[in-house]
Amino acid sequence: MTHLIAAAIAAAFAVPVLAQAPASPPPSWHQGKPPAQQESTLHPFAPHMTGRSAKDLPVNTLKAPEGFKVEVWTDGIPEARSLALGDKGTVFVSNRNAKSVYAVVDNGGKREVKTLFTGLDAPNGIAFSKGTLYVAERGRITRHDGIESKLDSPGEGKVVVDNLDPNRAAGHFWKFLAMGPDGKLYFNIGAPGNIVMPSYMEASIMRVDPAKGVLETVALGVRNSVGFDWHPKTKELWFTNHARDWLGDDSPNDTLHRVAAKTVPNFGYPFCHQGDTLDPQYGKNRSCAEFAKPALKLGAHIAPLGMRFYNGKMFPAEYQNNAFIAMHGSWNRTTKQGYNVMRVSFDDKGQPKMQPFITGFMTDEKADPPMWGRPVDLLVMKDGSLLFSDDYNGILYRVSYSKK
Amino acid sequence: MISKLRDRNAAALAVAFFFFGVGAQAADAEAGRVKAQVCAACHGNEGTSSDPALPSLAGQPAQAIAMQLYQFREGNRKNPQMSPMAANLSNADMNNLADYYASLKATPPKHQSSPASKASGPDLAKKFNCSQCHGPALLGQQHIPRLAGQQPEYLRVQLKGFKAGTRSDMDGNMTAAAQALSDKDIDVLVDYLAGLGAQ
Repeated sequence: MTHLIAAAIAAAFAVPVLAQAPASPPPSWHQGKPPAQQESTLHPFAPHMTGRSAKDLPVNTLKAPEGFKVEVWTDGIPEARSLALGDKGTVFVSNRNAKSVYAVVDNGGKREVKTLFTGLDAPNGIAFSKGTLYVAERGRITRHDGIESKLDSPGEGKVVVDNLDPNRAAGHFWKFLAMGPDGKLYFNIGAPGNIVMPSYMEASIMRVDPAKGVLETVALGVRNSVGFDWHPKTKELWFTNHARDWLGDDSPNDTLHRVAAKTVPNFGYPFCHQGDTLDPQYGKNRSCAEFAKPALKLGAHIAPLGMRFYNGKMFPAEYQNNAFIAMHGSWNRTTKQGYNVMRVSFDDKGQPKMQPFITGFMTDEKADPPMWGRPVDLLVMKDGSLLFSDDYNGILYRVSYSKK
Repeated sequence: MISKLRDRNAAALAVAFFFFGVGAQAADAEAGRVKAQVCAACHGNEGTSSDPALPSLAGQPAQAIAMQLYQFREGNRKNPQMSPMAANLSNADMNNLADYYASLKATPPKHQSSPASKASGPDLAKKFNCSQCHGPALLGQQHIPRLAGQQPEYLRVQLKGFKAGTRSDMDGNMTAAAQALSDKDIDVLVDYLAGLGAQ
């Protein structure tokens, strides 16, 4: 009886509490979740911050096309994300949550991992050019000159540009960084949420001349790009882009884009997705006709990250000037897809076509989690082999080719 | 499970089996058990704490344990007892400890929630989005810890720390979620969660 009274009092009490007090904000990845999907239990996957040993993983089940071999290059680099190659062969590796940048030195087949920097703020972006390592953190880009001759005591870098994250908003605050053929550093500033109106600079690709520190806009309406490269022949910029979540399993597609125009293209976010699908909220009374179209639809929620053109000497001739894309894999999808490395080839008219290259990370498309590894970025090595990173386990893999 | 893993052949078979499972960990739970002997002083035998201020570890998701050990070692999360304990652990040590504690079954909590907390707790857990990440039964998943049956004073200190912005938070979601909590909300949630029985 006492319990019943207490429960009744509690019930009476609970209603006004619920009505008056503000609720907590949902986790940032929930933003834009429609009422129809409120009960969905889909959620992102976090990396193993302590890494996992390659010997404990089914790396021998990875599949590559005939003549290609995929093997572990090194493990023990927790949350390995972006990759950059030094002139002397140093492989630089970044991460997003672990606040560090690493250098991997290959001493005659024995690889040594050195921790270059710690305590950085989401240092996802790294680029190497003419002896200098550039690091893009959440709010700034720094330069580290002559880095390969001081891997054991790199010291402090110099700031190239800062104030790149004035709003400190949740969402896509980490940056991808690459050096363009024009000597300027290119980077993304992601949208500050799943589907929100970006403020100035957000949802864009920008560039900066490291000698001047003045920003220029390269592309707008880009929700979040975490991979780009320049076509070896045309020198045009290509990039991958992540479309919004919570519109269902099959829409909208993540996309591959080409920046061809001399003007600054707008690819549509948050109004239009995948070049032809209006957003249910922001797209009202708009048309996709006013926005630039993607070069290729890649699949919904497939999460394209690193994207690099291949111009090495090891792979067969038909791979020349193809692009590889690392698919981090879907979370916002009831049946998962991605978690592999894809190959994009081009026909005579330059139209891209995609096919699987390295597969086997996903073992059960209905399981939680569905995979044991997640590709992030790619790097063409001097010998023409291809490295790619896996942030879920902290492993770098090497893909090589030999004629049998 | 643990005794079987002492046999090398059985361990090899278990590892081979894990290769075909999804999300299965192949770290060494037996090595974790040996390493965990020093942890038992505070976290209890078999990972069940008897101190309301110290967390139970049995039945936590492996990734959640490894994540917190990592945060202590890296100095992102600070605690006078735990920081020195984690300082010298390698990543492999952390994975082994995580696998050991994840392999233990959580015992039903001794804490008895008040009827009032039992009545309003589920609504509060939904309203404050606890179940969005910690799962519908608040058992945790992947790097997100189990809340059901956790020691109450430990939960209270963590929630207050998140609200004050002093508790490490990988992506900011817990700090954001805790801002809306009143002291009364925290009292009710803690009392409710601490008594939530094993499923």
